[in-house]
Amino acid sequence: MSEPIVEFRHITKKFPGIIANDDVSLTINKGEIFAVLGENGAGKSTLVSMLFGTYEPDGGEILIRGKKERIYSPRYASSLSIGMVHQHFRLVSNFSVAENIILGLEPERKLFGFIPYVDIEKANHDIAELSERYGLKINPEDVIENLNVASCQRVEILKMLYREAEILIFDEPTAVLTPQEIESFLDIVRSLRENGKTIILITHKLAEIKAAADRCAILNRGKLITVLDVESTSADEMARLMVGHDISFRTEKKPAVFGDVILDVQNMSVKSRTGLDAVKDVSFQIHAGEVFAVAGVSGNGQNELADSIAGLCPCSSGKITINGHDITRASVRERIEAGIAYIPEDRHNVGLVLDFTLRDNLPLRQYYTPKFSHKGVISRSSFVEYNRTLEKEYDIRSSQGGATIMRSMSGGNQQKAIIAREIDMQTPLIMFMQPTRGLDIGAVMNVRKQIIAERNRGAAVLLISLDLDEIIDCADTIAVIFNGRINKISPAEKISVDEIGLYMMGVKTA
Amino acid sequence: MIDMIIIDGLSFALPLFIMAVGGIYSEKSGITNLALEGFQGFGAFTGSVAVVYLTGIFGSTSNVPYYAGFIFAVIGGGLFALIHALLCIKFKADQVISGVVMNILAMAMTSFMTKSINASFFGNSANKFMLGASARITVPYLSDIPLAGAIFRDIYPFEILIVLLAVIMWYVLYKTKFGMRLRACGDNPHSVDAAGVNVYAVRTMAVFISGCLSGIAGMSFAYSISANFSPDIYLGYGYLSIAALIFGNWSILPSLAACLIFGFARSGGSAVINELGLPSSYNDLVRILPYVLTMLLLVFFSRHNHSPRALGHIYDKGQR
Repeated sequence: MSEPIVEFRHITKKFPGIIANDDVSLTINKGEIFAVLGENGAGKSTLVSMLFGTYEPDGGEILIRGKKERIYSPRYASSLSIGMVHQHFRLVSNFSVAENIILGLEPERKLFGFIPYVDIEKANHDIAELSERYGLKINPEDVIENLNVASCQRVEILKMLYREAEILIFDEPTAVLTPQEIESFLDIVRSLRENGKTIILITHKLAEIKAAADRCAILNRGKLITVLDVESTSADEMARLMVGHDISFRTEKKPAVFGDVILDVQNMSVKSRTGLDAVKDVSFQIHAGEVFAVAGVSGNGQNELADSIAGLCPCSSGKITINGHDITRASVRERIEAGIAYIPEDRHNVGLVLDFTLRDNLPLRQYYTPKFSHKGVISRSSFVEYNRTLEKEYDIRSSQGGATIMRSMSGGNQQKAIIAREIDMQTPLIMFMQPTRGLDIGAVMNVRKQIIAERNRGAAVLLISLDLDEIIDCADTIAVIFNGRINKISPAEKISVDEIGLYMMGVKTA
Repeated sequence: MIDMIIIDGLSFALPLFIMAVGGIYSEKSGITNLALEGFQGFGAFTGSVAVVYLTGIFGSTSNVPYYAGFIFAVIGGGLFALIHALLCIKFKADQVISGVVMNILAMAMTSFMTKSINASFFGNSANKFMLGASARITVPYLSDIPLAGAIFRDIYPFEILIVLLAVIMWYVLYKTKFGMRLRACGDNPHSVDAAGVNVYAVRTMAVFISGCLSGIAGMSFAYSISANFSPDIYLGYGYLSIAALIFGNWSILPSLAACLIFGFARSGGSAVINELGLPSSYNDLVRILPYVLTMLLLVFFSRHNHSPRALGHIYDKGQR
C-alpha cells in the first residue's frame, strides 16, 4: 500500500555471552503503526536502539527511505528525523515543559542586537501551538517535577515533534500508565499516524497491539519469528508465537479460604521523607489465606505504606497489629519476629547486599538466631548448608553456587533469592512489593505461583503492584490507593479493570 | 568603625563570592567541586608570577602588572581546573577524591615552584612573591552618602571587576543557551545527550570557568589580605565559598548573601577586637568566626537545600 521507510537487512548484534539480534530482516512502511513484540530479553529494545543510534549493528545494514545509512549516534538519528521516547524519560526535572522541549535547539534573540539570550516566550508560544495541533494537552510553563507520568510522556512526544521527527519510536510506552491513560495514549498515537508519522511501538502487551497497531513483528531470543497483520491474527496466536509455546496467562488458583485476621491496620498515616503526608488515614485488614492487593499509580503512597508496616519508616499516627500484637512502635527485628516477611521493591538497595555472596545474603534475616550462630559467633557451615537447601528448593541459579557475588546474578535469580529468604521464614504475613518488576515472563509466572502458594499455605499476603494484570491475576481482595488514601476495597471478583482505573486516577472515590 | 566593617567585609566577601559563582557553575553542571581552594591558590600563583615578572619590566609605578596579574590568574586557575575536569569527566574518577587531590597538588606544586623561581631568577630562597597591597579607589559623591557611602569608599579595583563579572555570569547561566544546557547537565545529563548536546564538553567548560573565577578570587586575596603570594593563601577560603554556595542553595544571589555574612562576621569581629583594645593575637580568634558561623548555618540550612540531582554522578554515555 505504501513505501518502505525503514528496512532492516540481516541485522545481527552480539553482546558478550549473548546474541541479542540474529539475522533480523524486516521492513516498516511510511505511515503505519508497527509493533515489535517480544518477552524481556528477546532483543526488541536492542533492535530499535540500532535504529536510534544507541548501538551499531555487528552485521547487516539499515536503510532509511531507501538509502543505506550508518547511524552512529542518536544525534545522527535525529538528523534523519528519527525520534525515540525511552522507557525512562529523559527530562530535566527542574525545567519547564518548554525548556525541556527546546533543549539543544533553543530559539535565540539578541539583547541590544548583540547579546544572545534564549527566547523563552517564543518557545512557550510555539509549543502551545504544537501541542494544540496534535491534541496533546500541556501547559508549556509547567515544571516537570510537578507533572504526572502521562504528561511527561506527552512532553517527550512533543520533543520529537518539535524536532520534526517522522519516525517515532516508543519503548514500552504504557508500562507506567493507568488503563484510561493508555486509552488516550493510543488515541495520540493514532492521531500521529493521521498526520503521516510512522510509529514503532515496542511492547509486550498484546491488548495495545490489537487496539492500535497495523502490523506486528514478533521476536523470540533474538530471532525474528514472523511479521504479521494485526487485524487478522488473534491475541492468543500472538502470545503463542511470542513465548514459543502455549502459555496460560492466568495463574491457577483454588477458591480462597479466609482464616483469622492477621494484619490489622487502623487509621494509619505516614509522612514521606520530604515531610508530606504520603499515607493518609488508611485502615484495612488481611486474613490468613488472603491475597490483599493494592493497586495504584506509582508514587501514591505505596512505598510508604509498605515501609511503615515493615518498620523501615515510622507512621505518624494509627495502629498496626499483627496476630493481635501491637507492633506500631516495634523495631524491624521485633516485627520480623512477630511474623512479617517483606520483599521490597528496591531489591538492590533494600533487599540485598549486592557485594555479598549469595550464601551470605540468604540468612540476613536470621543470622543471629541459634540456627546460624553460636554464642554470637556465626557458623559458616550452617550458611553453606542453608544455601544448599534453598538453592535446590527455590531453583536459584548462579554461576558459582553459594560463592557467587549477588551483583553478578541476573535480576530474576536475585529476586528468587529474596523470595526464598523471605518465604522460608514461614511467617504469618508476607508482603510483596512490585515482586515481578523487570523480570521476564517465565520468572513472572513463577513468582505469581509462589504468591498463590503462600496464600494456600494460610499466610496473609499483602501484594502491592503497579501492574494491573498482576493484581487481577493474584488478588482475592483489591484495594486502590490514590494520593495516600485507600479509596476502594472490594472483593476481586466484584470490581472491573475499568473501575479500578477510575479509582487509581481519583476520578471515583468510594 | 562601621565604615571599616563595611569596607573590609566587602573586600573579603566579594572574592569569596566570585569563587562561589565558579563553584555554582561546576556543580550546576553536575561536577562536585571541592577543588576551589586549589584553583584559587594556583590562580594566585600564576598571577603573582606574572606580576613579579612584569614589575621588573614596567616598573613598580605601572598599572600593567596589576591587571595582567588578574588575567594570568584567570588563565592559570582555568588551566589548572582542566586537570580536575580531565580526571572527573574523561577518566571518570571519583569527584570528591579528585577535588581533594587537586587541593593538595596545588599547595605542594605552588610552594615548590615559588621557591624554585625565587632561587633561579631572583637569587633568594623566599617562599613568597611580594606584591604590595592593591591601590584603592573612592567613588566621588556616592561615597558621601551617610553610612551606605562606605560601600563606595576605599574599594579595591578588583571588587568592581568582580561585581561586573558576577552580573555577566548570572546572565550567562540563566539567560543563554549555554547556561540552560549547563543547568540541564546537572539535573539529567541523559536528556542533554538525547538533545544532541555534548555533555562532556559542557561540563568541561563549566569546570574551566570555575577555575577562571577562582583564579580571580585567589589573586584578590593575594592583593588584599596578604599583599604577597605564599602558601598562606591556602587558608580554607575555597571551602568557605563552597559552604556559601551550599547555603545559597546553588543560586547566585543567595550565595552573595552568604558571602556577605561571612565577610561582615570577619570584619565585624576584627573591629570589636580593635575597639576593646585586645592584643592582636585575638585576631586569630576572629578569623575562625566565619567557620563557626558555617557550622551553625549548616544546622539550619542542610535540611532545606537541594543539590543538583545529578551532582557527583559519573556520566557514562553508554550506560543507561
